[in-house]
Amino acid sequence: MLEFRTAGFNPYSVKYSPFFDSRLAVSAGANFGLVGNGRLFILNLTAEGIVCEKFFETQDCLFDLTWSEQHENQLLTAGGDGSIKLFDIGVGEFPVAGWQEHGREVFSVHWNLVNKNTFLSSSWDGTVKIWAPERKESLVTLPVHSCVYSAEFSPHHPDIVTCVSRDSHLRVFDLRQKPSAQNHLTLAIPIHAPLKIPIPDNVTGGVQPSECLTHDWNKYRDSVLATAGVDGTIRTFDLRAPSGPVNVLPGHEYAVRRVSWSPHLSDTLLSASYDMSCRVWTDGSTQDNGGSGVGFGRELGRMDAHTEFAMGVDWCMFGAEGWCSTCAWDEKVLVWDVRDFMRR
Amino acid sequence: MASQTTGKNEHTQRRLEQVAHHMNASGRPGVIEKHPDDIVVTSALRTAITKGGRGGFKDTAAADLLVGAFKSLIERSGIDPKLVEDIAVGNVLAPGGGATEFRAAAIAAGFPSSTAVKALNRQCSSGLQACVDIANAIKCGTIEVGIGAGVESMSTQYGPQAVTEFSELLDNHKEAAECKVPMGALSEQMAKDRYISRKSQDEFAYNSYRKAGEAQKKGWFDEEIAPLKVKWTDPKTDEEKEITVAMDDGVREVTVESLGKIKPAFAKDGSIHAGNASQISDGASAVLFMKRSTAERLGQKILGKYVTASVVGVPPLLMGIGPWKAIPVALEKAGLSLEDIDIYEINEAFASQCLWCANELKIPHEKINPKGGAIAFGHPLGNTGSRQVSTLLYELKRTQKRVGVTSMCVGGGMGMAAVWVAE
Repeated sequence: MLEFRTAGFNPYSVKYSPFFDSRLAVSAGANFGLVGNGRLFILNLTAEGIVCEKFFETQDCLFDLTWSEQHENQLLTAGGDGSIKLFDIGVGEFPVAGWQEHGREVFSVHWNLVNKNTFLSSSWDGTVKIWAPERKESLVTLPVHSCVYSAEFSPHHPDIVTCVSRDSHLRVFDLRQKPSAQNHLTLAIPIHAPLKIPIPDNVTGGVQPSECLTHDWNKYRDSVLATAGVDGTIRTFDLRAPSGPVNVLPGHEYAVRRVSWSPHLSDTLLSASYDMSCRVWTDGSTQDNGGSGVGFGRELGRMDAHTEFAMGVDWCMFGAEGWCSTCAWDEKVLVWDVRDFMRR
Repeated sequence: MASQTTGKNEHTQRRLEQVAHHMNASGRPGVIEKHPDDIVVTSALRTAITKGGRGGFKDTAAADLLVGAFKSLIERSGIDPKLVEDIAVGNVLAPGGGATEFRAAAIAAGFPSSTAVKALNRQCSSGLQACVDIANAIKCGTIEVGIGAGVESMSTQYGPQAVTEFSELLDNHKEAAECKVPMGALSEQMAKDRYISRKSQDEFAYNSYRKAGEAQKKGWFDEEIAPLKVKWTDPKTDEEKEITVAMDDGVREVTVESLGKIKPAFAKDGSIHAGNASQISDGASAVLFMKRSTAERLGQKILGKYVTASVVGVPPLLMGIGPWKAIPVALEKAGLSLEDIDIYEINEAFASQCLWCANELKIPHEKINPKGGAIAFGHPLGNTGSRQVSTLLYELKRTQKRVGVTSMCVGGGMGMAAVWVAE
């Protein structure tokens, strides 16, 4: 396991570069992001361990980041002051572009993985905004009316956007639709809805609404997503059956801050929680073995090296399956192999 | 610079609260959860509410009503009076806020001189403000055990002498001067401007009477009302008698038709009248607060808990919209949505404003004032806020529901709301 200390800053998000297998970026804030400056770390994995190649300072916490899909040296940050900034590793100490439309903290940014020339942001101001890097103003504003903790483009389609929010709903927007009264909204799925097919001994089906903090698209199954939040439960959804979750993965003792599906295995996901653990899960789908895609999920293993709220996780796309990076409020970024922590 | 610092502090506070929310079960389950530092109510009661000038308490001073409420509170809760460190009493009409006679009332009721007393006035929300002040004092450790109370003798103290004449400075300031427009007149204008029809007001008022009548017949007020023995002069014979007042005497049989015949009170073509506005009344109420850990240590039976409260300002002439603005703020603080609430006790100052607030917030009518309200049994100004606590908690308990809100509009253009959980 490799370790890097973000001394004086508490990380919120870590992301692997989509261009280099040795490059990572971490967004962080002083004083747990409550008050004070933010910092964006550019890290390199070297023979001597993790080395900070460069960092950028900002005036407020950086709650999230996303790498540009167009340019290997560029990345975007989500600012506590409502700003979105584009940094270029090769250019000075200031951002090369910035966008200021959100009225409150920006909590997530995500680059479009399919058409690569748009990105999105989500904010506490209750909106998701779609942007093009070369334009000053946003292209579209999607109203959600509730603090939006996480928004993503589908990795399978350039015009499908999803988000999760404080009001315990997973929303699906289709940007191809005319902006009618619906504002592109095609689905709003209650995350707390009971399971369609009850799981034996399942106690978490049909619970009270709770804030949803994170979600992620499955990289292989184009209608499957995972969500997680304050109730500590990870849920998977299949947009073909949008009335409620298809699977629940209880286990975390406190809020889950981030979930991420594996880029290698269609049934595997990783989570980071306020209970300080990072856990590996299977959603029980046996699709790789020709199964139906629905089954009983379970925890495969856990990593307990963090000593404060675990905030970010990301998988390395390159090389052998299983390498990942996690970050936590203990000012640590860890790079480790999930396979070392699987229960045998 | 100063404003920049405040802005930053606000951001910090909001972000901190957000993370804190992430740590708890949010929404309704989080609010219902029991914690040792919860501020709980171990006893809540009220006197009956009687008609101003004619009812059972017409010859009883506000302080005497308060003595009655305090004595009953000590008796019912079994609390050692020595342990009560502070009492806040909401009152609107008494000269000097009633500070002197309420202090005396506490002593007469059996509290030792070591128990402090204050009087406060936030108009019609005074009783609630008293409860909130005491709850906050306990929450931050100023005191351990306290009483929030409210009292009003409109029979003896209602009238022009209760308001100081406005100075020239105030009279010449447009919005400031609007603070003295009588409630009736401004509510009449608001009803007109917001198209609240006379018929809908009369129906709302009729339902208040109907619900209160049913509750009275079925004894649903019995648990909250502490009967009080008082002297009463019979207006016919001038003979002074001692009577026991145990029932609200404003509740009467009406129909939408009978209400429809009453003449408007504030404008010839108006819609507000004596039958669809709150009654002028007398009454007192008291609520005993402490932390859950204290209640458990003292063996006090817990009736419910105080969650949070809000206070907001609105334009003075739109005083009646106060609950509409205050309720969402209180719910936001509690992390609740409008649907999470089982019962809303919204003071019926006027049918028009209460109805407007309920409709704007889209609160189902069956959730509002299930035992009727001030239209049916009266609105002794300073008493109402603390009175609603016992009305709400006992009704939640009776119907086996959990979460409720009390709220009211406030003269001068304000609103207050508080969230409570029955246990």
